[in-house]
Amino acid sequence: MKVLLKSAKIIAPGNKVYHNKKRDILVNDGIIEKIAASITSPKGTSVIERTNLHVSLGWFDSGVCFGEPGFEERETIANGLKVAAKSGFTDILLNPNTHPSPDTSSAIVFLTDKAKNHAVNLFPIGNMSVQGAGENLAELFDMKKAGAVAFYDYKHAITNANLLKIALLYVQNFDGIIFSYPQNAEVRGKGNVDESEVSTRLGLKGIPALAEELQIARDLFILEYTGGKLHIPTLSTAKSVKLVAEAKRKKLDVSCSVPVHHLVFDHSVLEEFDTNFKLSPPLRGKSDQKALIKGLQDGTIDFVTADHTPIDVEQKRVEFDNAAYGSLGLESAFGALNQQLQLEACITLLTKGRERFGIPTPEFKEGATAGLTLFNPEGEYTQTENRLESTSKNSAFLNHTLKGEVYGILNNGQLIL
Amino acid sequence: MSELSVNHLLGIKYLNKQDIELIFETADHFKEVINRSIKKVPTLRDITIANIFFENSTRTKLSFELAEKRLSADVVNFSASQSSVKKGETLIDTVNNILSMKVDMVVMRHPNPGAGVFLSKHVDASIINAGDGAHEHPTQALLDSYSIREKLGSVKGKNIVIVGDILHSRVALSNIFALKLQGANVKVCGPKTLMPKHIESLGVQVETNLKKALEWCDVANMLRVQNERMDISYFPTTREYAQQFGVNKSLLESLNKEIVIMHPGPINRGVEITSDVADSNQSIILEQVENGVAIRMAVIYLLASKIK
Repeated sequence: MKVLLKSAKIIAPGNKVYHNKKRDILVNDGIIEKIAASITSPKGTSVIERTNLHVSLGWFDSGVCFGEPGFEERETIANGLKVAAKSGFTDILLNPNTHPSPDTSSAIVFLTDKAKNHAVNLFPIGNMSVQGAGENLAELFDMKKAGAVAFYDYKHAITNANLLKIALLYVQNFDGIIFSYPQNAEVRGKGNVDESEVSTRLGLKGIPALAEELQIARDLFILEYTGGKLHIPTLSTAKSVKLVAEAKRKKLDVSCSVPVHHLVFDHSVLEEFDTNFKLSPPLRGKSDQKALIKGLQDGTIDFVTADHTPIDVEQKRVEFDNAAYGSLGLESAFGALNQQLQLEACITLLTKGRERFGIPTPEFKEGATAGLTLFNPEGEYTQTENRLESTSKNSAFLNHTLKGEVYGILNNGQLIL
Repeated sequence: MSELSVNHLLGIKYLNKQDIELIFETADHFKEVINRSIKKVPTLRDITIANIFFENSTRTKLSFELAEKRLSADVVNFSASQSSVKKGETLIDTVNNILSMKVDMVVMRHPNPGAGVFLSKHVDASIINAGDGAHEHPTQALLDSYSIREKLGSVKGKNIVIVGDILHSRVALSNIFALKLQGANVKVCGPKTLMPKHIESLGVQVETNLKKALEWCDVANMLRVQNERMDISYFPTTREYAQQFGVNKSLLESLNKEIVIMHPGPINRGVEITSDVADSNQSIILEQVENGVAIRMAVIYLLASKIK
């Protein structure tokens, strides 16, 4: 298949040859064949011309949920990957948020098999402990051989400090990486929103920032003892950013992500008890939000994640306390991030991070495999249920105006628009 | 004729000062009615009200039912424990099933904060919140302020202390909103473990010493310790709680003034107040109960007049 992108402005920060240049790009059978000011389209070529067409290397997300197996009513792998493609993502890590929990190599193989031949590459994260129960290590090496790129008891605090210690030591033999959810379960108690003046006004049970900070401080202490690679998947408080910055100064091998929602919203949106804002970790205050954005800009926070969590309407159209946690994120990630940051910074964030998880990074040059995202950074739209192609519609961004429209991707020799 | 600024009574925080004044003026009228030999008026003969209680209640439910019946409304009652909801039916389905039988107004008590707000967005009926988790209990706060107004002439400028389990209390939250809106000075007093960390953001002061709080106040509203809402032990024993935060006769007599004692009920005698205090002349606990009916008649009447 031949595809010609016409007059595409290339956003490739760090690429001295092509960055900010408007070029025609010819892709032949998944390989970038030619990049030039003007290319005449050979016979049988699909020519792509779009308003204010921009192109960058394909985007990457370090933590996406679908539902299959077990929660297909939330999202299937096939439709989830289509959504990822249309949202500009060519590579995603899949959170172990399925039933049964992916804690064996066969479960990992099921996921990679299901994702075969798609335009988007799916990399599963396996459970760290058997059934994600936080008691005994799962077969991490076997899962890694089967394709798991990291290990995580999805959004469950590792309460047993010794288990984290053992996990961080054990994975060093095969260069594994452990995710630890930053929340102390006891301090969190029955809380479900940020403990703040808003939770006080609404009578909702609060989760103190302390719950997150205490867990991160503990995890970093353990990491200092064990060595190894630790990733904190969802940072939400100002003090958490400070703790990570300090650890990085000590040269600990720690990375972290911030959910895109936490860059856009603060806890004041909870006033209407809208369950689409019931997130884990919870939305925090304005000063936390500022600290997270600053942490991204100064490099303390490594990545942004869409923290894409499809939840079916039956789990969301209920009383706030009874609603499940999570919001869709993929379909709004670019529009939201592009509003918070300069385009160049935004694309840098969306394209970085693969190397941390041992995933090949695409390149922007003639002869390289084409892993590209097509978008219009000026395109404005209001997010609506009709626009969302996800099976579930639980988006915190519903009725929110976003700036930055994604056209699709060109990856694995497939064009998804 | 004046009317309320809202179509539902979901919480005090959604009302303005004029709404509260209107409710009180209307309650004055109904209080006169319920003290007549014929306690009933035909005002709401064409209105059907469902009392839906997902949590146990004795006095609130009875008070609402009496208020409804004295306005000649048709009344249906529905009680469900949480377990029957867990059988599968959602709150929206439960209420819509009841509404399909042509019900105009729903009085709901529910264990989850925001349940009334949630319901008001999804069903076509006027909603009165009769208590939603630790969020609000607006009619209780209205009757509390009404009782203070009745006893002391006004609420404005008065010093009110709310004592006890502030963390789990919808009564405390609604009272704080109502009292502040009317210009009272409010302190909260109780163990730090039962005090929301950000409570001062509501414009109240925290006092941890009960004696000092009582010396400062004109009215002490004593709350019940809500053991049923506690996931862990916030204080070692009720005996020790009573030693620090219980009001007894000798404590009251040690003050250099006579303060008013209130309690939303049900009372744990010997814990937050002793019997001799509850039954004393300083206590207006039974007046609160009487005023509850008048206040609820006023709220139902004012909201019903906005239907259609």
